[in-house]
Amino acid sequence: MLSLENISVGYDATDVLHGVSISARPGELTVILGANGSGKTTLFKTISGLLRTRSGTIEYNGQTIQRTRANAIVKRGIAQCPEGRHLFGKMSVEKNLRLGTYPHRNRIRTEEILHEVHDLFPILKEKAAHPAGSLSGGQQQMVAIGRALMSDPSLLILDEPSMGLAPLVVDQVLESIAQINRNGIGVLLSEQNAKASLSIAHRGYVLAEGRVVLADDADKLLDNPQVQAAYLGL
Amino acid sequence: MTLFTQQLFNGVALGGVYCLAAIGLTLVFGVLRIPNLAHGALYMLGAYVTYFFLTTVGVPYVAAIGIAALILFVLGVLLERLVFHPLRNAPHTHHMIAAIGAMFFFQSVAQAIWGADFRRMETPISGSLHILDAEISAQRIVIIVTAVVVLALLTWFIKRSIHGQTIEAIEQDRTGAALVGINPAMVSMLTVGLSALLVTIAAGLVAPINLLSPTMGDSLNLKVFAIIILGGLGSLPGAIVGSFALAIAETMTATYISSAVGEAVAFVVLVAVLAIRPTGLFAKAVQR
Ligand SMILES: Nc1ncnc2c1ncn2[C@@H]1O[C@H](COP(=O)(O)OP(=O)(O)O)[C@@H](O)[C@H]1O
Ligand SMILES: [Mg+2]
Repeated sequence: MLSLENISVGYDATDVLHGVSISARPGELTVILGANGSGKTTLFKTISGLLRTRSGTIEYNGQTIQRTRANAIVKRGIAQCPEGRHLFGKMSVEKNLRLGTYPHRNRIRTEEILHEVHDLFPILKEKAAHPAGSLSGGQQQMVAIGRALMSDPSLLILDEPSMGLAPLVVDQVLESIAQINRNGIGVLLSEQNAKASLSIAHRGYVLAEGRVVLADDADKLLDNPQVQAAYLGL
Repeated sequence: MTLFTQQLFNGVALGGVYCLAAIGLTLVFGVLRIPNLAHGALYMLGAYVTYFFLTTVGVPYVAAIGIAALILFVLGVLLERLVFHPLRNAPHTHHMIAAIGAMFFFQSVAQAIWGADFRRMETPISGSLHILDAEISAQRIVIIVTAVVVLALLTWFIKRSIHGQTIEAIEQDRTGAALVGINPAMVSMLTVGLSALLVTIAAGLVAPINLLSPTMGDSLNLKVFAIIILGGLGSLPGAIVGSFALAIAETMTATYISSAVGEAVAFVVLVAVLAIRPTGLFAKAVQR
């Protein structure tokens, strides 16, 4: 269980997140909806330890983690596939994936997860020897998701994985995310595509200008007139 | 022709030394994003520590280099931790001033212990070999062989072992590296330590040919900076090619023109590259 209590975060003098409280239950798929600039990336960077909270607490499985460094947070089981992917562009796809195992470096587990990642994204097996930077946007997104999975996480954070992808690829990526979740990994996903993401989610939050304005079960949010007006164009 | 072959071998041996010195510097630049101006001082200390173990303690030559390399590795780790790490978020000029401070500190330490006079490290490896029509001193053969072996090991470490791969991971994407659980602070220490280890091997190998003095690192500093700028900052292949290119150019100029001009080649290269192609010859490998 991940729970954020009343956290405030900012880059300079002003805060970007204002007293945000969010939780993600184990094994569930939680989606964060929000327009550009609403604070989704800031929120995820803070969870992963790339940014510090100014107030509030973050707990994962009962332990406080808001002072923990990014590299140690992965070891606790929270992996992130970040916005912009942040792949090692000149390294091969295979090396990118194998570096993902850095937190555990367990040989047997590595081969098992690599197998699962190849099942999920067969193209990555085909492109194993290619530099990650030479792949198409959709394929790079798969490498990024795969690399995060290689750390054997209990919670996978995905920051707008469909950003900049062709609609057909978006469907494919969202379907693999649903599959990852069905395999038992908790997912925390940020999206602007409300309909597609809520339909695979258990719970959802709507973020606006750094505040949570709605929080509910995913199916209820799909029926919510506010969400429909803002995100579904109804 | 004999002279040419002879000098070509000398150039290659010198290139091996430059290579061991330049690679560490370029790695440090790739990871810490700073030019370590104290690199030449680490080279000088490496030479003196090797000299100490060889002549004062009396261990065999290869062991003396090995011990010195390990000691300098630790010193490199400390330099990163105590000097560069606290300044990691400070402006670049602070780094450079700190590095120059470290350089003067190391030179003073060497002068306090070993004095300012030149010292000679006796050639433990004597004899020479006839290759083609040239006579090559055994010391130079040892330099070339060691450089090749060390470069092969280093390449294996960086490309194949997961700990070595963290160096390139940090160079290519810092955020990505942190998100896969790599600790940038550890990698920075490892990289500066490794650069000090490599430059010590270079120093130990070349010390019997040159003289030791507390300022012996200054001219090397200039040359390795010329090399890594020539090769493109942060580029490994660039550093290797740049090392041999500069060494051979330097040796040939010294032979056929004059030794003073040979020494100046590095400056000429530096100025020319900065004027014509400031990103270096291997710039492509550095971008992205
Ligand atoms: N590095 C930064 N420095 C200063 N302000 C930032 C930075 N990154 C984001 N912001 C600001 O924080 C707010 C939230 O941005 P972000 O978290 O990226 O939102 P989202 O991911 O929902 O698009 C925006 O107003 C943005 O301008
Ligand atoms: Mg964002």
